[in-house]
Amino acid sequence: MAIISAMYPIAEQVGASRIVKAVSIPHPCGDPSLPSEVDARLRREIVETALKAIHAEVKQPTLFYPNISATV
Amino acid sequence: MVTVVHVINQFFAGLGGEDKAGVPVGTAEGATGAARGLQAQLGDKGKVVATIYFGDNYFHEHPEEAKAAILKEIGSRKPQVVVAGPAFNSGRYGVGCVEVCHGVAESLGIPCVTAMHEENPAVDAYRGYHDLNVYLLPTRETAAGMNEALMAMAGFACRLGSGEELGPAREEGYIPRGIRRLERTDRPGVERAVEMLLKRLRNEPFVTEVPVQIWDRAVPAPPLSPERQATIAVITTSGVVPWGNPDRFKTYRNTFWQKYNISELKVLEPGKWEAVHGGYNVAFMNQNPHYGLPLDALRASESDGRFRLYHSYYVVPGNQGSPSVMKRIGQEIAADLKKEQIDGVLLVAT
Repeated sequence: MAIISAMYPIAEQVGASRIVKAVSIPHPCGDPSLPSEVDARLRREIVETALKAIHAEVKQPTLFYPNISATV
Repeated sequence: MVTVVHVINQFFAGLGGEDKAGVPVGTAEGATGAARGLQAQLGDKGKVVATIYFGDNYFHEHPEEAKAAILKEIGSRKPQVVVAGPAFNSGRYGVGCVEVCHGVAESLGIPCVTAMHEENPAVDAYRGYHDLNVYLLPTRETAAGMNEALMAMAGFACRLGSGEELGPAREEGYIPRGIRRLERTDRPGVERAVEMLLKRLRNEPFVTEVPVQIWDRAVPAPPLSPERQATIAVITTSGVVPWGNPDRFKTYRNTFWQKYNISELKVLEPGKWEAVHGGYNVAFMNQNPHYGLPLDALRASESDGRFRLYHSYYVVPGNQGSPSVMKRIGQEIAADLKKEQIDGVLLVAT
């Protein structure tokens, strides 16, 4: 399992194994201030990062960062 | 003199071991069995007015009847304090003690003290109940620790019976219940916080004022194999549910989860979904439910055949969820994921 959360430090603190850094609490998977196509690309990058995370070997709480610069 | 009712199992009442574990709830006037030891520790400060016993198996096979019978006996005697156990590492006995104390605290409002080994499975239930009136003292693993346990319980019983206010767990020695209490102090928070920070920077010992709950450590699951097409499910705590909130989730403190079918959908249309959650501004989520359930992106990623998205998504609005309830919900969802043979999960948390 991968958790997608803007509150990733808490996820890390309580010991979640695979953590994906999300955008913000009211909109984890995307950013409404972006044009909708860019927003959709950002969401895709977050989901791809989460898919990568569940295919990755981890031994302890591990943070995965979506490559946001690639989406804008 | 403090009046006490002592609740024990059939073994410590002297009725017998496993062969007598089916005996129903019974009452003896005064102190009998282990309650005599408690009476000895109370001395002239307290009196065991009755000993109530239950068979370990009886309590588990008839939990409602057993609890009701015990509460009725206690209620009719109106003691100042109820003492249950010590149960040491006995799981059935421990659960009986914690359940009785919880029932007494809830319906009779009488303070309770119980005792058992810290690894007794009932300790988790005690932590989850957060009863202001129940104190659980740690004991040794076996009845070899009987005398010291009874002594500690007698001490607590006298103090509780006289209406004395007890201090925090770290000073009094009971197992923390996860209750935060306000205290008055002469120094403002900023001064205390900076002092703690400086101590921490100097590697000196300090005591936090806000202890954090200790969580179970989960071993990371092995990674999914790229060789095989996995079935992936999504869980969201954002509260995104079909428009109209058909299962009537509340905006806070939910006690159940639900799953909704998305097998025919490529995207989530605004106006057909809504976010039920009292802990964040749901305006963005209502305009675009994909922020909490990224179905559009998942369908795009699914199209190359790497994985298959499970036909439904799981949801519980997470706002103000109590850890014990959320743990139960997590276990129920995990059991369903297993039953549905789901390989991997993405959990979107607001």
